[in-house]
Parts: sequence; structure tokens; C-alpha cells
Amino acid sequence: MDKEEILKEARKAIIDADKAKAEELAKRAIAEGVDPLEMINKGFRAGITEVGDLFGRGELFLPELILSAEAMKGAADILTAALPKGTKKRRGKIVIGTAQGDIHDIGKSMVVSFLQANGLEVYDLGRDIETQKFIDKAQEVNADIIGMSALLTTTMSGQKALIQELKKAGLREKYKVMVGGAPATQRWADRIGADAYGIDAADAAKKAMELLGEG
Amino acid sequence: MGKTYTRMGDGSVIELSESELKRDLEEGTRDAAERGRIPPLCEDELSYLFDIYSIPYRFVSVDRGNEVVLTYDAATLKIRRVGVLTHRIQSLQIYEKLLGADTLEFDHVDYSFKPVKPIIAYEQTELEQALLVTTIPMFYGAMPNLGSYTQPDGPCLNPMELLPMGKITEARAAQEEMVEHAVKDMVNVASAMYESGADGINFDTTGAAGDTDFLATLRAVEILRKKYPQMCIEVGMAGEFILGMHGELTYDGVRVAGLYPHKQVELVEKAGATIYGPAINTNTDESCPWNIARAATFTKACVENSHIPVHADMGMGVGGIPVVDQPPVDAVSRASKAMVEIARLDGL
Repeated sequence: MDKEEILKEARKAIIDADKAKAEELAKRAIAEGVDPLEMINKGFRAGITEVGDLFGRGELFLPELILSAEAMKGAADILTAALPKGTKKRRGKIVIGTAQGDIHDIGKSMVVSFLQANGLEVYDLGRDIETQKFIDKAQEVNADIIGMSALLTTTMSGQKALIQELKKAGLREKYKVMVGGAPATQRWADRIGADAYGIDAADAAKKAMELLGEG
Repeated sequence: MGKTYTRMGDGSVIELSESELKRDLEEGTRDAAERGRIPPLCEDELSYLFDIYSIPYRFVSVDRGNEVVLTYDAATLKIRRVGVLTHRIQSLQIYEKLLGADTLEFDHVDYSFKPVKPIIAYEQTELEQALLVTTIPMFYGAMPNLGSYTQPDGPCLNPMELLPMGKITEARAAQEEMVEHAVKDMVNVASAMYESGADGINFDTTGAAGDTDFLATLRAVEILRKKYPQMCIEVGMAGEFILGMHGELTYDGVRVAGLYPHKQVELVEKAGATIYGPAINTNTDESCPWNIARAATFTKACVENSHIPVHADMGMGVGGIPVVDQPPVDAVSRASKAMVEIARLDGL
């Protein structure tokens, strides 16, 4: 099997949510001298991107997405372990939750699945979370990104409050802030000074990867 | 022709050249056609949309003779929401006597069937009072809101906690249990309100919690139809396709996850509903013409496939209307005209 074929098979294994096949391909890629990073980015990540697109079109469903994410994680773990010393990158960390007063967590949980599928270390605080708890958790785990979701126009102000609280604490430059949820828009994100806005779960994962310099 | 004043899906003002306007209309209808596997709008329809957007008037209306039924959901909440302190019944009177509503919906601020259950006697009394001072046909409405049946708010395990742990079988079992609870509540509340005088029942934002939400509604509608053959039942949607949170649920042999409006309406009709309300999501990163061409394409296919009246959801973030608290009249009136005259809606 040549490199192009392995990459194509890797992409397919993720779309088919075939964890055993994905792990087998990861091992074969290492044995045949394929660059592990290329294998992750052009093979497995290409697959998870397509899974996101199919999910966004209603052609693939959440349980299948979860299985694809598990297949991706299994393969990525094998490939990451094979990276030469000094080239291993720390996994990006994100703290995420819904704004205080907002109990709507379905969209946020989908974002969590996509972030995990892309190999991020996700700290999901859950729903109806006090603004300060986002900051405390980010400090505790040394996160890269803080993400806040809001479904209501009455709770989206929590996203603005998060940025204000980070500024007050002198931590604004330390963390990237992402916002999302039904009433949030790119214009709102720009207005409150957020670093990124995700229009849906797949877009949120893409923006998170871009913030981490891996987009 | 100079530049056309319009907006993005987030409400911000933009100006489009003639070619940009045409391009956005073509791309909007193509996006819907590809996603829904339905026909795009034809040249004449795109040309009509072009005219609607290039008219310089601040707002537009349908042509004489094309007027449709205007229904307001959450009518008891929306006047208070903008800070005008009215009682629920006064709000309904304002809609009926001042705002030209043809039908209205009476509802509670919690707006879900489950929390209405313990206060049903209070709701029945209020509805009866409202009916005494209005003549307009009155729905009682609420959301199926299957999310309210999961822990910590309800008795079922939370699928959104189980799924990320890879516990797919357990998550699906919890979702199936949620459906059983929700059907009972919806049938109980709808029956009580109908027997207190409501002219119909509106299941609003159906599908908000995915395929479980839609399936539970269809089952509740089926039971209500058998129980009350004359009841008017409206099923309004939350979004353009059914999110597959479970992924394998079926109704009458059809998998409900992933269905777009022209297929949703078939099941809604089969279950026994009398009005269907499609909701096409607004994309905030695209222009209003792009969004309305897309919404009209989906809705037209749905109307053509429906044997029951179609009353599209037109409001903040759906039906080509921008995502802003107070949608601007230029955008709302153009979206309404386009949806009525291109998609051939029966009501808004």
C-alpha cells in the first residue's frame, strides 16, 4: 500500500468509525515510514472534517460522530507516541461550558465531541456555570482556550462578562476566548472582543484548531 | 442600477452590486438544493427575488390577493419581553385588536409541556378568561422540550453526559425513556387545554432536542388525533433538519434523524396534524438575499409535498430573517413577501 492509499484508507476508517482499522493503519504507516504528522493531518483529520460536514448536513448522527471521534483518538495516540523526541506537541487544552443562567447544553456538548475528535484536551464544566469558574478552571489546568456557549439573548451577556473579568484579573492575554450559541454571531464576537466565534460544532472545532496554530 | 441596501444574517447593513445580489440568490438556492436534494428555484423565481431586494422602499408587502393567515406563537410573552408590562390576556387582546393577528397562541412563560403539567388548573382558568374577551381562534402552545426530562431536571439519565463517555447504548436507552415520559405529558396537557376551550394545540420548536423530540411529538399527535378527531394540531419546527441525537429512531418505518422539511411534513401529516410549520435556519455569515433564496427553496419543496396547510416560522433567526432581537422591517417584510409568493405558503 503506498502513502496516498494509506492516507485515503485512514480518512475512510474515520468516516466509517472503524477504530480497529484506524489503529491498524496508524501502525502500518509507522512501519512504512509515513510521517506521523502527515498521517494525522492529511489522513485522519481529513476524515473527521468530513464527518463534521456530514453531521452538519444531517447525513450522519451524534452516536456515529462519537464513534468516529474514538477511532480518531485511538489512531492519533499511536501516531503521537511515534513522533521523534522534541517534535511532540502538547495537546491543546480548552475549558468549556454554558453561560450562567443557561441550561441549554446540547449544542455545547456537540462542540465538546468535535473538540475531542480533533485531539484537544477538553474540560467540560457543564451548564449554568458562574463566570469565575471558567477562569478558575482555566488557571488550574493551564488551558489555552476558554469557550462559552449561550442559547439565550438573556444569557449571552455572560460571554461579555467573561472577557471583562479576564481583563480585570490581568489574564486576557493568557487565554483565547471562543463564543457560540444560537444568538451569538461574528459581529457579537467582534463587539465583545472574543478571539473566535463558531457558527456550529464543526466550525467551532476548526476555529479552535486555528487558535492553536493547527488549522 | 445602484447598489442594493440589504443586510447580513446578523442584521448588519451591507450594500450589494447587481452581480453580487444575483450571485447570493443563486448560491442560496443551490445550497438548499444540495442539502435537501430538492430542485433549486428557477430563473423566474430568482428574478422575482431580485426585484424584491432591489426595490428601494424601506418595506414591501405581498401583492393584493396574496395575503395569508398570520399566527403569533408565544403571544402572551412577546409584549412583556420588550418591557411593556401587560397581563397575558391583555397581550392577546393587543395582538387581536391592534396587530391584525388571525390566530393566536396562549402559553405560559416556562413554555414547555412538562412544567405546565403541575399548574394545569391555573392555565385552564386563565385560558377560559382569555376566551371570554377574545373572538380569535386560540391555540394553547408549548415546546416538547425533551431536554427537560434528563437529569438534573428530569428522571432520565442525561444522554449528553453519556455520549461523550462512549456509552451509546445507555444514551439511546435514556432517550427512548424520555420519549415515553414526554408523550404522556404532551397528551395530558393538550387534552386538558383542549377540553377547556382551546381551538387547537401548537407543538412549538419541535425537534429542538433532536430526533427524540420529533418522534415524541409525532406519537403525541397520533394519540390526540384519535382522541379528538376535530382538534386543530399545529407542529412547528425548531430547525431545518432533525438532529440525530439517537440516530436510529423511526416513525412509521422512516428514520426521523436527518429529515428535511419536505420529508418532515409527510410524517407530521401521517401522524394527524392539521398545520405544519417549517423553520429554516438563518446563516449569520451570509446575506439576507442568500438566506431567503435558501429558505424559499426548502419551503417551496415542502409546500409542494404537503396536503396540509404550511405556516412557516418567520422570526429572529429563521425563515431568512436576521438573528437580532428586534428584526428590522426591511428584512422581515422582504422575507415574508418572498416566502409567501415564491414558496406559496398558507400562513406565517
